[in-house]
Amino acid sequence: MRGNPGDGVLLTDTSNPSGSSGPSTGSQDSVAASGLVEQFFRHEYGRLVAILTGRAGVRHVDLVEDAVQGALMAALTSWVAKGLPEDPGAWLYRVAHNHLIGALRKNAGRLRILEAAADELTLVANNPPSPRFDDEVRDDLLRMLFVCCDEAIPRNSRLVLALKAICGFSTAEIALRLFLSEANVLKRLGRAREHLRQVPPDFDSLPLQALQSRLAGVHVVLYLLFNEGYLSAQSDRVVRRELCDEAIRLTTLLTEHPVSATPETFALLAVMHFHGARLAARLDRAGGLLLLEEQDRSLWDQDQMRLGAEWLRKAASGGAFTRFHAEAGIAAEHAFAPSFAQTRWKEIADLYAMLDRIAPSPLNAMNRAVAIAEWQGPEAGLALLEAIEPPPWLLGYYLWDAVLGELHRRAGHKGEARRFIEQALASAPTDAERDLLRLRLASLESV
Amino acid sequence: MSTPKYLCVYRGAPSQDKPSPAQMQEMFAAFNAWKEQFKSNILDMGSKLKPSGKVLTASSVTDGPFAEGKEIVGGFMIIAADDYEGAVAVVKAMPMMQTPGACVEIREMASF
Repeated sequence: MRGNPGDGVLLTDTSNPSGSSGPSTGSQDSVAASGLVEQFFRHEYGRLVAILTGRAGVRHVDLVEDAVQGALMAALTSWVAKGLPEDPGAWLYRVAHNHLIGALRKNAGRLRILEAAADELTLVANNPPSPRFDDEVRDDLLRMLFVCCDEAIPRNSRLVLALKAICGFSTAEIALRLFLSEANVLKRLGRAREHLRQVPPDFDSLPLQALQSRLAGVHVVLYLLFNEGYLSAQSDRVVRRELCDEAIRLTTLLTEHPVSATPETFALLAVMHFHGARLAARLDRAGGLLLLEEQDRSLWDQDQMRLGAEWLRKAASGGAFTRFHAEAGIAAEHAFAPSFAQTRWKEIADLYAMLDRIAPSPLNAMNRAVAIAEWQGPEAGLALLEAIEPPPWLLGYYLWDAVLGELHRRAGHKGEARRFIEQALASAPTDAERDLLRLRLASLESV
Repeated sequence: MSTPKYLCVYRGAPSQDKPSPAQMQEMFAAFNAWKEQFKSNILDMGSKLKPSGKVLTASSVTDGPFAEGKEIVGGFMIIAADDYEGAVAVVKAMPMMQTPGACVEIREMASF
């Protein structure tokens, strides 16, 4: 005879103390078998933090995060023992909401500002847990994104805050993904939270429209988030894809609200889809980086490329031409070129010139030189590079040396080629890049 | 003769670590998989125990427990297995047994 399983005892102590295990690739099947969609807990975390912060006020975001964490822990114990509730999202909201009221009450007692605190409590308590419409949740998430991208928060704290509060990553997971120490992540998070605690209550009643001036800052953070996944030296594909997917998810959210559905947002989303389409083809089996030239184009995700094209088309409506338009244009040229050799290098060179006018950087000029070299030969590319006055930081940057070395190699200038490639080798950040440079050095010997 | 029953006593203070949402989802999936695999063995999932309680003797009632932190009983469950080997296999496969410091005592319940 079987007893009635009560609260699962065996859930008491299951956390991994090293905190190092992110979502592992092997468990996806069992995740699906548990009856919850992938990333359910992580996305619920972000959703609940956004909703409850919207109700309790930005200054209470610490309490909100604790309440949500507590609700997820309670869910874990209860759901294993009793099975999934009918509406897991509503269950979590109810429990998190109760946790939060308890915490606010305790907080009010401690602070002894009884009257103000009482108002605050009724504000939260009078909003009973109820099923919420998708567009309300979306607005809360958008608001949270604008909250995290406050220019008053140091820039490197904004990304970390968004990863924590909206994407639901732990500090250990953020550290792993951004190649930072956990202490550094905590420090950045601390600065962001310090700022949020000072946000006055009247901020919370501002309409989303009033936050529109932060949109450019939101774009920067989402672009950063995407690139952390796309350009990362992290060799774990799943981890990289996850960051790109989060950036795409949140940017897509921006396209759904009039406040943030601008041509620039569409162009940014196009950039992400075009690059995202090539993500799987960028790494070889060992996790090494593959050059565009070496990538198997049949691995590029056609559906995602179509999405990129669609958003780029939408981005073209309206007169604006932003840096994201230029970048999306470049990415589109690469995506739709039938082969590396048949790439329209002139168009790419022109787009890099436009990008450089909008967002001047010697890196844009460098990329333009690479395109020119493909189009008109290595000497033309070198001529362009020699015209650039490289700032000191660029001189120590391995890509600069690698590009110079490669163009000299192609032009047959063996001595210069060797010098630049050796310089690049000394500062290349990953094994994959060092391997590539060594191959080029070796090819100098064999010619 | 019926299948022997075993009381499994989990010892140790609950971890102070906060698992991340992604880790929680993994644990949820892992526990469900374990429960499914051993559903015929798990008679009673038991319960987590709150940290404080009362200790009674013939002459007194005091607040307890007074064991060392790592010896405090944190929870229990009851499983069925043909023998100790089987019982150990069930407990060993529990996701939480991968946590360093995890400690479960298994005792066959005497049947009269």
